[in-house]
Amino acid sequence: MLIELAAEYNILRIDWVKFTFGAIALAVVYFFVVRKAVPKVMKVLDERHDAIEGGIERAKRAEAEAEEIRQQYREKLEESHREYAQELEKAKEQRAAIIAEAREEAQTEATRIIEAAKAQIEADRQQAVVQLRAEIGSLSTELASRIVGETLSDSAAQNRVVDRFLEELEQDESAKQAEVR
Amino acid sequence: MSADVRILAAEPGCHLFGDNGCGFEAPTIGMFFPEPWFANIPLSAGIDLYLVLLVVAVGASLLLWSWFSKKLSLVPGRRQSVAEMLILFIRDNITRPTMGAKGDSFIPFMTGIFTLILAMNFTGLIPGMLPVNSNLAFTVMFALTIYVMTIIIGMRNQGGWGYFKNQLFPAGMPKVFYIIITPIELLSVFLIRPVTHALRLFATMFAGSLLLAVFAYGGWYMLNLTAEPMLAAVSVVFSGAALLGYITFFVFEILIMVIQAFVFTLLASLYLSQSLEAAH
Repeated sequence: MLIELAAEYNILRIDWVKFTFGAIALAVVYFFVVRKAVPKVMKVLDERHDAIEGGIERAKRAEAEAEEIRQQYREKLEESHREYAQELEKAKEQRAAIIAEAREEAQTEATRIIEAAKAQIEADRQQAVVQLRAEIGSLSTELASRIVGETLSDSAAQNRVVDRFLEELEQDESAKQAEVR
Repeated sequence: MSADVRILAAEPGCHLFGDNGCGFEAPTIGMFFPEPWFANIPLSAGIDLYLVLLVVAVGASLLLWSWFSKKLSLVPGRRQSVAEMLILFIRDNITRPTMGAKGDSFIPFMTGIFTLILAMNFTGLIPGMLPVNSNLAFTVMFALTIYVMTIIIGMRNQGGWGYFKNQLFPAGMPKVFYIIITPIELLSVFLIRPVTHALRLFATMFAGSLLLAVFAYGGWYMLNLTAEPMLAAVSVVFSGAALLGYITFFVFEILIMVIQAFVFTLLASLYLSQSLEAAH
């Protein structure tokens, strides 16, 4: 009976109908599960992976940006400090220059004024001397003529007398001045 | 109508301590040949229970994955997490160890055949039904598909003759060795490998359901409540032991079904990996 069964039921026989249906089943599963469903789930998996990676990436980028801005800010601050120092330095120099210039100008002006004053004084003195000489001359002449009682008509002689007198006078004056000093 | 119910119905009242004197008839391989409903197909057993169970398994696979893949979001719910766990399991335990990151494009295929083979095994867990893969035709179909794929992908990646050369004449050994190596490789890669690939899954499913049937038949045979009270009590104890064995092996069988589906997929991935690049 067992032999009969074995002959009738050969478990190693490949039934082509079952084989074909199995192939159709695999094709159906391939089309709906392998091509559609699993990739759909995998796409979401990848998207999530991307989202997490992307989030980290974005955070990193923001951090880098902030660092860059901080660096720029620091540089700018440093630069403005430097500029301020420069400006200060320049201002100091300028101030010194202005003061020096003003001082020089003032000096020049003072010198000029002094010079002018001296010149004026000299001129005045000269004028005074001339005038005085003339006046003294005429006065002396008059005085002398009065004293002498004669007219010194001879102008050459007159001048000589006056000059001699004035010289004496000047010598006296110088001596007096020397004494005073 | 399922195999064991049909056989039980054919032999009524045959029990331990029975008075009609018939002995225990162990389940035969006949249980793997259910009565076809449409038998007039030449060279075939015809349309029978296996094809119905196949439709059930395919339907279960499609339902599972259409359920897994609907309303997906970046923040996964429980259902989506399970689907992702399954895919990542396939990736981390099947494609990555064998093919590396290059094999990531095979993840959907491996997930698909793993799911289908598992569903085709699990039909054996329905009481009185058989695992679809306990018929050789289906496992041969799977193995042949993988075999054809390995050859096509191998020829595409390593050149028409290159794939065969790399398989038959492994690089890095003295030429004299090829006298021995080449026939062995020819046999193992192109003949034994696809055959064992198909037979392994078939044999475990076949033997597993036969074992479960033995426990079921034996338990049913030993249960005889119509005998003398003393003997009836003994029969209940025997039958209970058989039921315990049945339950134990049922749980064990679930494990085997999962492992075999995993092993089949892992081997498919391993064979395909040798097509992607020559073995070192």
